[in-house]
Order: sequence, then C-alpha cells, then structure tokens
Amino acid sequence: MDPFYAALSFYRRLKYEECAAVCTELLEKSPYDQAVWTLKMKAVTEQVYVDDIEAEEEGIAEALMDNDTMAQVARPGTSLRTPSTEKGGPNQGLRPRTQTGRPLSGVVRPATQSGRPGTMEQALRTPRTARTARPVTSQSARSVRLGTASMLTESGGPFIQLSRLNLGKYAAQGNIAKPLFEYIFYHENDIRHAMELAVQATQACQFKDWWWKVQLGKCYFTLGLIRDAEQQFRSALKQNQKVEIFLRLARVYIRLDQPLSALDVCKTGLEYFPGEVTLTTEIARLFEGLNNIPTSIKYYRDVLKEDSTHVEAIACIGMQHFYTDQPEISLRFYRRLLQMGIYNAELFNNLGLCCFYAQQYDMTLTCFEQALSLASEEAVADVWYNIAHVAIGVGDCNLAMQCLRLCLSADSNHASAYNNLGMLEMRLGHRDQARAFFQAAGSLAPYLFEPHHNYAKLAEEMGDLQTSYIVIQKALQAYPSHVSSQELLQKLQKHFAFM
Amino acid sequence: MENVNRKFPNNDDTSLSPNILKNLSMIFVPELPLLESRNWLIHLHYSRQEFGICKILLQEELERSNDMCEYANYVQGLILRHEGKIQESLESFQTCHTLNPRNVNNIKEVARSLYLLGRHGLAVEAYLEAENVSSKPDWDIYHNLGTCLLHVGQHVKAKEYLLTAIELSHQEDSYVELAKIHLLENDIQGAIGIYNAALEWYPDSCELATSLGLLYMTTGQHQRAFEKLGCALARDPMCTKALLAAGCMMQNHQDFDVALSKYKIAAQLLPESISLWNNIGMCFFEKKKYVAAISCLKRGNYLSPFDWKTLYNLGLVHLITKQYASAFHYLSAAINLYPTSARTFMLLAVALKNLGDPDNARHAFEQAIKLDPSDAAVALNYGVLLNSVGEQEKASVQLRRFQELAEGGPGLDQELLEAAQSLSLSLTKANKSDLETDADEKNKKDEADDAGRLVKAGEGSVVAPEMGPDEV
Repeated sequence: MDPFYAALSFYRRLKYEECAAVCTELLEKSPYDQAVWTLKMKAVTEQVYVDDIEAEEEGIAEALMDNDTMAQVARPGTSLRTPSTEKGGPNQGLRPRTQTGRPLSGVVRPATQSGRPGTMEQALRTPRTARTARPVTSQSARSVRLGTASMLTESGGPFIQLSRLNLGKYAAQGNIAKPLFEYIFYHENDIRHAMELAVQATQACQFKDWWWKVQLGKCYFTLGLIRDAEQQFRSALKQNQKVEIFLRLARVYIRLDQPLSALDVCKTGLEYFPGEVTLTTEIARLFEGLNNIPTSIKYYRDVLKEDSTHVEAIACIGMQHFYTDQPEISLRFYRRLLQMGIYNAELFNNLGLCCFYAQQYDMTLTCFEQALSLASEEAVADVWYNIAHVAIGVGDCNLAMQCLRLCLSADSNHASAYNNLGMLEMRLGHRDQARAFFQAAGSLAPYLFEPHHNYAKLAEEMGDLQTSYIVIQKALQAYPSHVSSQELLQKLQKHFAFM
Repeated sequence: MENVNRKFPNNDDTSLSPNILKNLSMIFVPELPLLESRNWLIHLHYSRQEFGICKILLQEELERSNDMCEYANYVQGLILRHEGKIQESLESFQTCHTLNPRNVNNIKEVARSLYLLGRHGLAVEAYLEAENVSSKPDWDIYHNLGTCLLHVGQHVKAKEYLLTAIELSHQEDSYVELAKIHLLENDIQGAIGIYNAALEWYPDSCELATSLGLLYMTTGQHQRAFEKLGCALARDPMCTKALLAAGCMMQNHQDFDVALSKYKIAAQLLPESISLWNNIGMCFFEKKKYVAAISCLKRGNYLSPFDWKTLYNLGLVHLITKQYASAFHYLSAAINLYPTSARTFMLLAVALKNLGDPDNARHAFEQAIKLDPSDAAVALNYGVLLNSVGEQEKASVQLRRFQELAEGGPGLDQELLEAAQSLSLSLTKANKSDLETDADEKNKKDEADDAGRLVKAGEGSVVAPEMGPDEV
C-alpha cells in the first residue's frame, strides 16, 4: 500500500499518532513533499485541539490592569461588575452569593463564576482555591498543555522551525496556509507568529476570506487587543454569518464589560440561526451575570426546548427551583441529570438536599452517603457542610457540630462552616468561641454578610459597641438591603455620630 | 507679531494684581499665634460632615500648635469615633482633658468613649467626675450614668439617675432606658406607665407607640394595644414592628384577610423575617390553605433552622394534612431544640399514635403532663389515646382531670369541649367502637387548632441572628 494513502487513512480514522509517525518517515525520504507536510501538521494539531470558545479565563492582570472597560462606575444593570440590581429574583438571604455578589450558579464554568475583583487586595487574597477564584494568569489549562506539546523533544529537532519559516511564501498558498496557521496557533501556541501569518494571508486574498479575519480576531483577542479583535469579527460577520463568530464577538463584549452589547450580538445571531442552543445559552448566562435570574431561567427553558439533554440548563433551572421554595420540582430536574448518566458527588449532594427539603427522608442519607463516597478532596467539605444542615434540620446539634468540624478538616477555608459553628456555639452559650468563629468566617469571606451580621449582634450584646459598629458596616457592604443590619446600624449610629 | 504683543500686556496685568495683593497682605497682617484662630473653619466643615477636608485642616492645626489646640483635638476625637476608631478617639479626648481639665464636655466624651469600648465601670467613674466638675446639673450625664450602671447591673441606682435625667429634660432615650430596666425586673405595669408618660411628650414617636402596644398585648389589653399600634401605623405606615404586631392582633381576632394584607406590606420591607413568614403561614393554615401554609413555614424554617416555633407549626400543619411521618420529624426537631414545651410533646404523641406506636405515644403524653400539669388539652388527648387502646378506666381518669382543669382554667375552645363530650359518650358506651374513632378524629382537629393559636400569641417580632443556609 502506498504509505501516503495509509497515512491519510489513519488520519480519517482519528489515529493521529500513527498518521504522524508515517508522515515523519515519508518526510525523511522526501523533505519537500508539501502534501505529506500538511498532513502531518494537521495530524499533530488535531492531537492537541481544544474547543477554545469557552475556555478563556480572565487572569488577575487582565482583570485589574484593564483599560478596555468603558466606565469605571457603570450604571446599574449595564455592567457585570456591579450586578447588585435585583429584579424579582430570590434575594441574598435566600440564595447565597459568590464573591462578587452574584448568586450562585447552577454549574461551574470558566470566567462566569468568579466575576471580577473590586480591588487588588481582594484579587490577591483569593488565589485559585477549591471553587472560588481565578487563575493567576489567563494562559490557563489549555495553554499550559499546548506549551508542553511544543516543548517535547523530537528526534532531529522540532517539526517546523518557526523562526526560519518564510511566512510570506506560505501565506499566499491558501491550502497550506490554513493548516499551518492552526498548527502554529494550537500546537506551538506561538500567537505572534500565527498573527503574522494571518495578516499576510488575509492581505494575500485581498481581505475577502472571512476565515482569516476570524483567526486574526482570535489572535488579537488572545494578545489582549480587544478592540482590534472586535473589528475583525465584525468585518467577518459582514461577509459570512457563523455561530462561532457571533459567540466570539459576544465574548469580546463580555471582556469589555458591555453585557448589553453582548446580548445584542447574541440576539442578532439568533435571527440568523433561530433556536441555536449555544447562542441561547450564552444569553442565559449573561442574564444570570446581570443578576436577572428570572429572564435567565426563561432562556434556559428555551434551550431545553431545543436540546432536552442540556446539562447546564437543567442544572440551572433545578437550582432556581430549589432556592424558590420548590425542592420537589428541583428534585425532578436533578433526577433527570442522574438519568442522563451524570454521576458525581455534586449531583448526589444536591439530590440529597432536595430530598431533605422535600421531606423524602428515606432517600436523604443514601444520597449523601453516595456523595461522600464519590467526592473529591474539595467537594467533601461541601458535602459535610450540607449534611450539617440536615442535622440542624432534625435538631441534632451535636451531629451538626461534628459534621462542620469534618468539613473544616477537609477545607480549612470554608467560611460558611465557621459561621454555622459559631451559631451552634452561641446556642450553647459559648460566646467567646462563637466570636472567634465569626471572626474567622468574616476574614475568610468578606463577601458573606452572615458572619458579619452575627458577629455584630454578638458584640453589641456583649457591650463591645466599637467592634459591632465596624463589623455591621461590613455586613451592609456585602448586602446593602439587609433590614436587620440596617436597624442595628441605626441603633449604633446614635452612639457614634455626634454633633 | 502684533497680535501676540497685544495679548501679552493683558495677561501680565491680570496675573500681576493678585501677586501684589498677596505681598501686601504678607506685609501688613502679622502672624497671630492664636490657637483658636481657625476653630470656626473646623467647626464649619465638621458640621457639614466634610470629614476629609476637616482631617487635613486638623492635621495642619495640630502640627502648628504642637497638639496644644483643644478644639482640634476634640473634633479629631469626634471624627475618629465616627469612623469607629474608639481607642484612638479616646486618646484624643484624653489630651483634651489634660489641656483643659475644667471643661465638662471633655470628661463627658472620655466617659462616652469608655462606655463605647465596653468598660462600663471606668465610664461610671468618669461620669461621676463630670458631674462634680459641671456647674449646673446636666441631663446627659445622668442619662449616661444610668445606662452605664444598667450594664454593670446596678438597677436601683440606674433607675434613680435616669429619673433625675428625665426631671431635668424629657428625653426620649431616657424613657426608653428606664422602661427597659422595668422590663428587666419584670415590672410590666411600671414600663407601661413610663411609656405613657413618654408618649405625652413625644406623641409622634412611632417607636414608643409600638413598644407600648406590644406591652399592652403581653398584658392582654388588646383594645388599648390596638389603639397604640394604630397610632404608630398612622404616623409611619411602613413601621415594620407595628405592622407585624397589628397583623398578629388581627390574626388573634380571626380576621385573616386583614392580617395578610398587613403582612404583605411587611414582607416587602422584611423579606427575611422569620416571625413574619411564620405568621403568614399560620394565616394560610387558618384559611385551610395548607400547601401555602407549608411553603411559608418552610421558608421560615429555611431562614432560621433553630426556631422551634416554626418547627412546631410545621409539625402541626403536617398533622392536619395527615402526613404523620413528616410531622414526627418536625416535632422531634422542635423538641431537640427546645425540650420544655408540653404542647410539642402532646403533638408528638398524637403523631406517634397515628403512626401506630401507642407505647411511645403514652410516654410522650406523660412527659407532656410532667412539663405542664395544668394543660387541659393534654389530659383530653391522653384520654382519647387510652380509650382507643382499650383502657377505659384510665381514660376516664384523664377525662375527669380535663373537666377539673377546664372548670378552673380560662374559657376553653368550643370544639375542645365538644370533643370531650363525645369522649365521655364513647366511654359510657364503651363497646361501640365506631363512636370511638369518631371522637378520635374530632379531637385531633381541636387540639391542633388550639395549639396553633397558642404559638401565634407567643410571637412578638423577634429577629434572631440568621444562619447562612448555603448549598453547593
């Protein structure tokens, strides 16, 4: 059999390693065979290819030293940074928040979960821990993997010496330029060279090929030249409408902190592709980010109409039902996830909670047992924490305390657990211990209002008005419309403000 | 060129004139070493709450005067206190005091800082010193002495001082503190008298009226309580405490729609109040809307899992809807959290009876009787249980106990009496089994209704510290 035919066949059967090996042999014989060269490039690229539309995460540097954002103090409802406007969804007392004041989401996904830090201090204090924060750089998991791929020592040096490559020559040849670009972009992760190639190639085809514009936009985006990326995507959209371009353009606007423009883009995209799941999901996520949970849920429902096995949509709707006092319905959604074959600790944990609040006591403990047996190091803490809630629910305070201590032994930074331990200690009358726990919780998670509020109440009772006054202000920062805290502050202000 | 030339002289003119003026002022006005020269400016900024500018000014002033300027130190102390830095503000006031030991205000502020830091004993001493220094009697000193002594635990002295303060100047705060002491001593009538006196001076105060209304409620003077709460609501229709209390009264008078309308307003202001959700739940329960009741009560329970009253009510609603297992769970949780309520044990016993465990039900009844031997409903229900397991003699003993208690105690519910009658009937015709079960059914309803009312009456508007229910 012709070895080149064999290589092609390997490629088609997704056996990229074999394909690359055959190509290497062929290239040793005839180093200037462009067909073989291209095939090897494609095979090697496919090995490391990742769908990168949703993979990017904003690093500390991008988030803080960010000069693309339009307004530092945006009007409420127009920015993902100040999501505090509430529109009829469950409030903070019912649905817990993540660090930046956004309600907990149904699924964990890059960039949308942690939001942006307000200050440098806050950003640095929460380095990437179990579930909270952001990576230190934006070149996250994907890029790390790509970087190592290019560093593998190959016999006889690297496959392509990028620095010695005559980019201008290849840019003019459309059929080679595209695989070459992908090779440089995905395998070598050398954005600068990739961009050079893309620039020359798009010139060579007189700016008529939308594909090159998208690639150029990708390069600009990765390099942080957001406005240039926007231009490229827009011009590509004029020539050809593709879901990918709409998504990438929406991402650009999210990076620019202009969620409303991003929504516009997605909605235009929906006009071309009615019912497109990825676009609808993007819209739902945006609304969730804007703290407009009811609308977000509406779009997730639309997603489910098109794709009834969409995990994210099911999880988000389930969670919404849980926090709006309908654990029975939420249980139905989570059971659906289980039927679809998802089998992890988080799901069983949620199932257990739903069962408990829907009064199906026989299932509760089994679910939690299953969750514990499946849980990884990080999830174990949360499972114990929730078991403590069940224990409190049946009035067994000792069990609750033991569970919370187990939770803390698994994750010593679990702020809510400290807070609840403090409450339990307070019930037993151990005020000093309670105070220590509240302090720990408050310093670990300044975004939770509960520990601050509890601590302030305790301090006020003990006559330590100064601490109470300072701490209650922190609570109100975390949750400005908390009535009980407001009342306490008013009471204290009588002592402190004096003309 | 011409243009430029013309412009230059103009510019020079304007820029020169102020320079000349400045120089003149440098020459003619001598530097005055007065420490108080800029006090007016500091005061102006402070009273406008422009603390930023004020602080810069203060720093300059203190540097210029080597920390000798009394007023600057004083205002600095006030600003630091406003920022919550009491320790530092105490130091400022102490410098003030050393600079001018005759000034009463300085001593008062030192004492106040000590009070805010929670060192009440020292604060009392400082206030006593202030009293000595001050030339004329000052209500502020007496009022604060009273509050400090209250914290130290000397109620009698505290009362005296507060009374002197009130004689000197009728301040709202003094009245409130005084009433607080009376309440601590369980002297509700005294507290009511004080609130009434206070209301004469402050007829507009919403808080006073609400507190008075609540006190009337606890003493059972519903008409007066209603008047006061109505007054409070007329002054401030958004006063949440008064709204809750008024709703609770309506609920007691079986006027559930009006109560719900009050709660509806309150729910917008207090979405996280446990007692609010509890009361709404019980309103729905009385209107026989059980699903709504359960979901409201569950939200209350979610917000504060430690509140045994919510758990008790949840148990009750589940009993009525015949979900005995759930009822048992809620009731046992309530007992774990608060093991001294006879009614909870009684409901638990009823749940156990319906779950087919008469032995444990009997234990629960005995525990309930031990906790509250004067509760007629417990005796009646125990009688029904004994009757249903076939121990007619013991049942009639319990029935007799019930009748004794019913005669001695306050007027009982009509339904409860009816149930007792049917029980006595079934006891006389002991061999007819269908009547027994009939009485049984009725009984459950009665005791439930009764208990529901009991709990509602028990609630004021307590806001307990909440715990963060948090899920992954």
